Amino acid sequence: MLRYKLPPWLLLLLPAIVVLLAVVMLPLLLSLYSSFTSYRLTRPDSITNWIGLYNYEKALTDAKFWAAFGRTVLLLTVALNLEMLLGLGLALLVSKVTHGQRALRTMMMFPMMFSPVLVGFQFKFIFNDNVGLVNNALQSLGITQTAIPWLVDGNLAMFSIIFAEVWTSTSVFAILILAGLYAIPKDPLEAAKVDGCTSWQTFRHITLPFVMPFIYIAMAIRSLDVARAYDIVQIMTNGGPARRTELLWTLIGRTGYVDAKMGYANAMGYTSIFLAIFFTVYFFRKLTTARTELGMGG
Amino acid sequence: MNKFASGASALVLAAVCASFAQAGEFDGITLEAKLIGGQQYEALYARIPEWEKATGAKVNIISKKNHFELDKEFKSDIAAGTTSWCVGSNHSSFASQYPTLYTDLTGLIPAETVAQFVGANIKAATLDGKLVMLPRAQFDVSALYYQKDLYEDADNKAKFKEKFGYDLAVPETWQQVSDQAVFFSDPPNRYGTQFAGKDEAIVGRYYEMVVAEGGKLFNDDFSPAFNSPEGVKALNWFVNLYKASAVPPGTTNYLWDDLGNGFASGTIALNLDWPGWAGFFNDKAASKVAGNVGVAPAPKGSAGARTGWSGFHGFSVTEDCANKEAAASLVDFLTNEDSQKLESAAGPLPSRTAVWDYVTEQAKSDPYRSEVLAAFKETAKTAFAVPATPYWIEATNLIYPELQAAILGDKTPEEALEAASEAVNDMMRENGVY
Repeated sequence: MLRYKLPPWLLLLLPAIVVLLAVVMLPLLLSLYSSFTSYRLTRPDSITNWIGLYNYEKALTDAKFWAAFGRTVLLLTVALNLEMLLGLGLALLVSKVTHGQRALRTMMMFPMMFSPVLVGFQFKFIFNDNVGLVNNALQSLGITQTAIPWLVDGNLAMFSIIFAEVWTSTSVFAILILAGLYAIPKDPLEAAKVDGCTSWQTFRHITLPFVMPFIYIAMAIRSLDVARAYDIVQIMTNGGPARRTELLWTLIGRTGYVDAKMGYANAMGYTSIFLAIFFTVYFFRKLTTARTELGMGG
Repeated sequence: MNKFASGASALVLAAVCASFAQAGEFDGITLEAKLIGGQQYEALYARIPEWEKATGAKVNIISKKNHFELDKEFKSDIAAGTTSWCVGSNHSSFASQYPTLYTDLTGLIPAETVAQFVGANIKAATLDGKLVMLPRAQFDVSALYYQKDLYEDADNKAKFKEKFGYDLAVPETWQQVSDQAVFFSDPPNRYGTQFAGKDEAIVGRYYEMVVAEGGKLFNDDFSPAFNSPEGVKALNWFVNLYKASAVPPGTTNYLWDDLGNGFASGTIALNLDWPGWAGFFNDKAASKVAGNVGVAPAPKGSAGARTGWSGFHGFSVTEDCANKEAAASLVDFLTNEDSQKLESAAGPLPSRTAVWDYVTEQAKSDPYRSEVLAAFKETAKTAFAVPATPYWIEATNLIYPELQAAILGDKTPEEALEAASEAVNDMMRENGVY
């Protein structure tokens, strides 16, 4: 009898492969398959109703979907850049502190500890036009006499959401960049001092190139997060009013779970994944370039 | 003596049998239930051990969530085929979405029991000829809350008469609400009124306004009917108030909690709201308008009909339940007269005729509670439930962004209704409704 013997490496990896297939691949394949059907949650038998590319065609020709797509890219671009700049500033400040740095680092991470749902409720209240904190403060200080519709006006609503996103996640950048600052070797900094570099020159040509890989890692992680932004937006505006803050995942979440149209929601989901893949690949390329420049290899 | 004692115990037993199922009838049966959770619903669940004792069955509550969460859970259950639990909380606005989940209670609950409920509620609980739930004492329809002192102020009265040509009094029509809302507004300190501005909530408000204007939201085949002169008139009520700054600028982002807290903060003059807020509005610890709250029946539209979008909670038995008789007995128990008296003592409105009379009698010594009950009882007479289509929620998700677009001025009311009507029409066709 012929007996196949699996190579030891495969045998050792087999449990991991089986688990990954079961918990990652299987649901992915199932959702991919369902995106080609008219699957509705309330009608389980509709999962066998194959409708080909209909859902994809519908999504790709739907102006609402593309508007949500565009808004998600906008949120991603603005929020990531702001978080990066603020995080960098925060990290540079904290790295200069000599006493109580540990306490500061812990405090800096407070916003990250809040659940996004809580952050959503907190900012929904802060930006409420009638009883909210911001309007009350502005009115009490005599800056304005009108109730500013923070969560209703198209631009202000996006601003409020970006504000909440930035508030909760700037520390991700700050912590990662701080780690980068600690890893900078002292020699080039001292050499720059000896050569008479200004502090801006030192920052621009030595510090920044060293922390760039850390920035790109933070960017890659956060771009995945923001591309999936859901909870904060869902609580603060639920994509409204009049779709002014509709993002990909508020649209997809509503289609899948409230309208129960899971097949169509999955089709939109798979289309949106390209956004996440694009940004991840982009930031990893940037990361590789930054590392090569530092002589850390590709 | 012995004979007397056994006679007496037989009498007691007969009484127990009459009010509950037969003692020990469901011995050894365990019913799994998915019920709406929240402090206000707990008092009723505290009665469940009584039913367990009387019937010998056990109740295992496997899920307790609000209706929006339960809705998602039920949909997942249907998708996964895990629907063998027995008793579920249901709601008239959600019920039509689960045509296969719940069984017909007609054969399980005696007809004379069903006859004791308010007719309109039973009608709304009957879908495609199936009685899918028994209503509990959580009936909802909206009446008009208002700040009383605004109507007693002589200066207000004179100025109002001068501006609008008729006496300032608690409004009976939506046109009067509109006039008064503009008159009372003094932004940002006070707004004339407010409305729920998103999700199903604003579509419900719009729906009742369309009805009050003499129109219909859907035709009998569920094709959209709101893109009509009545529909435009109804939408204009919201649009004009927003334009006139007579509602808070954030109102398109408001849901029930924001509205309730807004009225309690004293910044809203007139507020169409649910009965559940009555106690809160008049509670000195929670509300700035306590002691100054009046309640009137929902105003009428130009067609002479009151608004009256209503809904109610109920209990249903699943089709896949292995012990439907036991489950129906529990549902019967949770909605019987004693259960409804207990629940409505805390404020919610009953759905049994006899309990309506009972709570009205009980409230006699409390003028505020009497006023609340009278207003809601009057509104309940002409109340109507949401259209009985499984695509109600999906339709509302297509309609509300367009209503918002009209209110915020992104589109004209005609354009918005045209777009919403087209979207609903496409959706209904895609789902094979017609």
